[in-house]
Amino acid sequence: MTVPKEMPEKWARARPPPSWSRKKPSWGTEEERRARANDREYNEKFQYASNCIKTSKYNILTFLPVNLFEQFQEVANTYFLFLLILQLIPQISSLSWFTTIVPLVLVLTITAVKDATDDYFSSQFRHKSDNQVNNRQSQVLINGILQQEQWMNVCVGDIIKLENNQFVAADLLLLSSSEPHGLCYIETAELDGETNMKVRQAIPVTSELGDISKLAKFDGEVICEPPNNKLDKFSGTLYWKENKFPLSNQNMLLRGCVLRNTEWCFGLVIFAGPDTKLMQNSGRTKFKRTSIDRLMNTLVLWIFGFLVCMGVILAIGNAIWEHEVGTRFQVYLPWDEAVDSAFFSGFLSFWSYIIILNTVVPISLYVSVEVIRLGHSYFINWDKKMFCMKKRTPAEARTTTLNEELGQVEYIFSDKTGTLTQNIMVFNKCSIYGRSYGDVFDVLGHKAELGEKPEPVDFSFNPLADKKFLFWDPSLLEAVKIGDPHTHEFFRLLSLCHTVMSEEKNEGELYYKAQSPDEGALVTAARNFGFVFRSRTPKTITVHEMGTAITYQLLAILDFNNIRKRMSVIVRNPEGKIRLYCKGADTILLDRLHHSTQELLNTTMDHLNEYAGEGLRTLVLAYRDLDEEYYEEWAERRLQASLAQDSREDRLASVYEEVENNMMLLGATAIEDKLQQGVPETIALLTLANIKIWVLTGDKQETAVNIGYSCKMLTDDMTEVFIVTGHTVLEVREELRKAREKMMDSSRSVGNGFTYQETLSSSKLTSVLEAVAGEYALVINGHSLAHALEADMELEFLETACACKAVICCRVTPLQKAQVVELVKKYKKAVTLAIGDGANDVSMIKTAHIGVGISGQEGIQAVLASDYSFSQFKFLQRLLLVHGRWSYLRMCKFLCYFFYKNFAFTMVHFWFGFFCGFSAQTVYDQYFITLYNIVYTSLPVLAMGVFDQDVPEQRSMEYPKLYEPGQLNLLFNKREFFICIAQGIYTSVLMFFIPYGVFAEATRDDGTQLADYQSFAVTVATSLVIVVSVQIGLDTGYWTAINHFFIWGSLAVYFAILFAMHSNGLFDMFPNQFRFVGNAQNTLAQPTVWLTIVLTTVVCIMPVVAFRFLRLNLKPDLSDTVRYTQLVRKKQKAQHRCMRRVGRTGSRRSGYAFSHQEGFGELIMSGKNMRLSSLALSSFTTRSSSSWIESLRRKKSDSASSPSGSADKPLKG
Amino acid sequence: MEEMPQHRLSRLPDNSALKQQKLPAHRLHFTTTRVLFVFFTTGIFCLCMGIILMLSARRTQEIEINYTRTCANCAKLRETASNFDKECTCSIPFYLSEKMKGKVYMYYKLHGFHQNLYRYIRSRSNRQLVGKDVKAVENCYPFKTSNNDTPIVPCGAIANSMFNDTIILSYNINSSVQIKVPMLKTGLTWWTDKYIKFQNPSLKNLADEFRGTTKPPNWPNPIYELDKKDPRNNGFLNEDLIVWMRTAAFPTFKKLYGRLNQTHHFIEGLPAGSYSFNITYNFPVTRFQGEKSVVLSTLTWCGGNSLFLGLAYTVTGATALLAAFAMKAIHMMLKNKQMSFFHQ
Repeated sequence: MTVPKEMPEKWARARPPPSWSRKKPSWGTEEERRARANDREYNEKFQYASNCIKTSKYNILTFLPVNLFEQFQEVANTYFLFLLILQLIPQISSLSWFTTIVPLVLVLTITAVKDATDDYFSSQFRHKSDNQVNNRQSQVLINGILQQEQWMNVCVGDIIKLENNQFVAADLLLLSSSEPHGLCYIETAELDGETNMKVRQAIPVTSELGDISKLAKFDGEVICEPPNNKLDKFSGTLYWKENKFPLSNQNMLLRGCVLRNTEWCFGLVIFAGPDTKLMQNSGRTKFKRTSIDRLMNTLVLWIFGFLVCMGVILAIGNAIWEHEVGTRFQVYLPWDEAVDSAFFSGFLSFWSYIIILNTVVPISLYVSVEVIRLGHSYFINWDKKMFCMKKRTPAEARTTTLNEELGQVEYIFSDKTGTLTQNIMVFNKCSIYGRSYGDVFDVLGHKAELGEKPEPVDFSFNPLADKKFLFWDPSLLEAVKIGDPHTHEFFRLLSLCHTVMSEEKNEGELYYKAQSPDEGALVTAARNFGFVFRSRTPKTITVHEMGTAITYQLLAILDFNNIRKRMSVIVRNPEGKIRLYCKGADTILLDRLHHSTQELLNTTMDHLNEYAGEGLRTLVLAYRDLDEEYYEEWAERRLQASLAQDSREDRLASVYEEVENNMMLLGATAIEDKLQQGVPETIALLTLANIKIWVLTGDKQETAVNIGYSCKMLTDDMTEVFIVTGHTVLEVREELRKAREKMMDSSRSVGNGFTYQETLSSSKLTSVLEAVAGEYALVINGHSLAHALEADMELEFLETACACKAVICCRVTPLQKAQVVELVKKYKKAVTLAIGDGANDVSMIKTAHIGVGISGQEGIQAVLASDYSFSQFKFLQRLLLVHGRWSYLRMCKFLCYFFYKNFAFTMVHFWFGFFCGFSAQTVYDQYFITLYNIVYTSLPVLAMGVFDQDVPEQRSMEYPKLYEPGQLNLLFNKREFFICIAQGIYTSVLMFFIPYGVFAEATRDDGTQLADYQSFAVTVATSLVIVVSVQIGLDTGYWTAINHFFIWGSLAVYFAILFAMHSNGLFDMFPNQFRFVGNAQNTLAQPTVWLTIVLTTVVCIMPVVAFRFLRLNLKPDLSDTVRYTQLVRKKQKAQHRCMRRVGRTGSRRSGYAFSHQEGFGELIMSGKNMRLSSLALSSFTTRSSSSWIESLRRKKSDSASSPSGSADKPLKG
Repeated sequence: MEEMPQHRLSRLPDNSALKQQKLPAHRLHFTTTRVLFVFFTTGIFCLCMGIILMLSARRTQEIEINYTRTCANCAKLRETASNFDKECTCSIPFYLSEKMKGKVYMYYKLHGFHQNLYRYIRSRSNRQLVGKDVKAVENCYPFKTSNNDTPIVPCGAIANSMFNDTIILSYNINSSVQIKVPMLKTGLTWWTDKYIKFQNPSLKNLADEFRGTTKPPNWPNPIYELDKKDPRNNGFLNEDLIVWMRTAAFPTFKKLYGRLNQTHHFIEGLPAGSYSFNITYNFPVTRFQGEKSVVLSTLTWCGGNSLFLGLAYTVTGATALLAAFAMKAIHMMLKNKQMSFFHQ
């Protein structure tokens, strides 16, 4: 999982040039950084950030002002503040000030509390880790003495001593180290997710500063670029002793790295604390909003428009009424002094009505949505089924604002290593001289099923065995023990042919430093079977073969590279025989075998097919005996080739090619790249839920394709797997076009005239996609992707990719990952989810609508950038299909009901306007208006929004199709919104006109007037509360005790408050505030009033019930059906589930599954990393100084950018 | 070192029903039987209710006489504000063909008088009306104080516009003998209004209590002269005032004016015969194109004679039943198809 160091020009351009900030001389931005070693006074002038980090948002003092400021940046809150100000103007105030301020204060308080707890709990980890990190100890050179200092007290310009396995405290310039030539090894897992080790080297002049006295005198000054977030770039200059030395990333140790295999090193602090590349990379920059959020904002704008329309209608009505009637009514009610005409009165009444009708956009909407999301987030945190027992990590919703979008995901972009796979390579099977080992047999000799494994093979005979290595087939060990020569040769090869370095701290405690986990697995296997690779020097390899130490003379390492796809060693054994051992990809190696091995080859091929069918990564092993003369002659030619000035690579390759021929087949190995638990099942289930999964990996193509097969993304049933590896724009375009044509041909005959229009609309795009029949997959390489992502080709690429069932992008850079996600986001209007574990996934996680981090890994970068985190990929299915689906469902139901209830509530004022001279008289008591949204109707709908379930959780997994309504956005869209609004308006009409009809004529049973305003207000309010309560009762599909409590409680609270507000006591105290004294008991004692309420309820609710009944009968959707089957207790087999068992025949997928970096081969042969640097070696090394690193890097970039031709043919078809 | 696993273990979420979303719950199902049952019962209930209401509404008797134009000269007189002190009476004869049994209530009814205007409804002072502070007029705009800043009692637009016609119902026993039908002016209001919401400052000399205040501009007499005969019906406790102050919800409304005192001839109600209303016409309505009438009515168990409720219930009941049948039919029709759908 490495980032190829070479950057294709195309996307390098997308980044700002490294000197951008220097060209922007604005005050306060750092233009360049100067740091002088051992000179704190000098460095203090620049006021660089200290090494103290702080990742939480608030502290106790700043909380209130900062939070309030943030809240009033929300448009909604400002809008309500504006309304509040309107209400303070007496001429237009139609409601008391408290009808707005009480809800507003309540909403602000709830939001503030939520923000505070959010910041406290979700970053509790951060608070702690901040403290912990800031207090870590490091050794700082102060005044010539090494002193213990806390990390936060480290300053720019300090010299720090690091010891093995310590975290790097800040971004350091490596000065010197315990290793020769100022080398040091680091692990950058926390930074970029790569677990293999990297080498850093001090520049030669400083690498001699080994002891403290020299270092204390060091007064070099570094001038370099300002802090930035580019992990792989650094440019600066060291000025020392009137000389200039260029500095590059190769000299830097970045914060977050861990020092490995290096006793100590010294570094000069260049960037500290928030300026470090780690911290610069971790900032959460984008604020994510869900599509429901955006829809909600649009709808609120529409509603606002609607509100203005109603205001205008009523204002016109008011002007006309004042003109026709009001003028004559002036004896009884003269106009206000300010009002001089009917027109002006209408203008004022417009504002009055805006105030009254503002409840259509309820202030509690946003806060309720937040509360519901918070609830859903807690459910995710609490879910036991997403708790990883092994790593003891629960799932964590790190943002609380995206939950319902989890129910709408259409594209998943997944990282491979650490996400789909565990990044553990296991030596699983092997084929030696035509016999296959490694199948697990039970006692009776039958092939055992998974899960019932017998005891593993006992390696106790071998004191050097690795205890963690497990193998299940005892016959292989028996073969070794009886001394089968082929088996011995097989393991000898494994113990010799590699670039692993060994470290032996105590006698018998071997540690292998492998450049890739594959190699480690193979060498460890050999170790356990009695062929222990013990140590190596540049010229020798010492192996303990069945207990006896044998030292082979290492003559040459023919190292791995991407084109060769194989590596060989040439060794001379103690008897003096020279032998070449080779291991490599089968496609490459099988052509180079001696013809005499044909029969053996066939059996081995069968085995290889079998292994490949199981998704294992295979390598073929072979050897060749060389006679002395031939070797001498060959070695000479090799030397010539390596000294050649031009096309050195090609020459060497052909020399290697020559010797790796006519080899004798030994066998094959099969390594399992261990998938995480449940990955194939999860992918299958998500695919059934119509979610498209793209794998974006930094790994090389073979590895990625292999994993694609083993996790069932790619299957052998697929019509074709297209592989795009073009290096030029034209090639890529051509390959994409061919792929498209093939897909089109299979579904309908498309002429050659199919030319792609750049302005193709997305609808047309989908129509083309839908036409494609058959299953296809696309595999695209990083360098092709760079072209494919260009503006003029991105649509072509997207269209091709979207027509495929599976897409795998290999060797992509972190930036490309983000670009791919961005591309899909831009054109597909679909919800994207990115999942990854490493720092190289951070950009993608931040770009996608939803970012998921795999936690419990070594690095925490991905988790810190993510919105959700859990420790196993398989939890994704539960997150999406259960939590996401429910969240979406609940949120939609909540919004529908919320808009409904507010329209039903508010529109009554509109109808009443026609009867009260458009005077902005409210229908209800102002206390009712204040409390309706925040007390009487808030909790039941919240309970529904938090707890509702349509089908039980296991059904969501059984019927992945249940996920589709979310993707198609069926449950809450503009149409549903209008239905809710219509229902609300219908209810409001009945709510007004039925009591009106009754009250117009009726009298109370004691003969007094019934139709007084206050009785009418109480009647309408009561029926409204009852109707919306019944409605929420119908909407609640899952009645828990909490729902019961809230629904009945709300009704009870309504009546309690009603009677309290209308009580004598309150009136006695505040006669002008509580005008409704005695109203409740007088009105609600009337049978007519109750008859009215019942009638209103029946008329409002019955159509809803009838409508639901008819929909259930005529057009049931899947969830209805599932519920129905649930109801009739039909035990139905999960018919939708069709997990395919993959047959044992499969295409062979051999991969030289090493890291795509070149091995340590040259390093070993040069002896640079050998401690025991003999005299002979030292003379060699001084001559070429640090050139090996240079040449290594050059080679790397050459091999990566040269065409890899024949190897990249389509795998099938 | 021992603490670490402990701490780690604590991260395991609780296995509570709430946290695992497994709360015991009842799932709501719209099953056919339930829905149809609800529809049938609702339909039958509403239908029965409707019929009962209609029948009882038909049993009530009501007579309404619009006298806006009948007393045309008076109406004309009142259109000019300066004539407020000129008395104008008129008599409206009518014949009651059927006797009105039981309690009979007399109402005045105004058409097109907006008691529900926002500024109108607010224009009153409950502090004043409850007798706490007779000079509390803060909410009473535009009738707070008179020109010389004397607080108005009772202040506000509602009180100022109080209905002030006097209506006397006379029964003609024969062509020459006319007796006044006894009407009670008590029990016209809610108990809470009369005893809590409206209170005189003290029961003693009202005129003293209201010194330093002035009458509303439209009133002929000050508050303490509303009913000189009965101190319990005077001042803020005057039932006509209380009835008027309970503002109507709609521009057309009727307010209770008096109850039949069931004595002598009228023990069983109003006997059939010829009657007349003798009206002192004070309240101008033609100026704002309003109308006024006087209503006599009897009651049933559920109040006045509104047919609307009965009709609405009947229609709802019938619709619900029809819908129930229709739904049943649809369900039957779909049944086969549905079964095959669910059993596939």
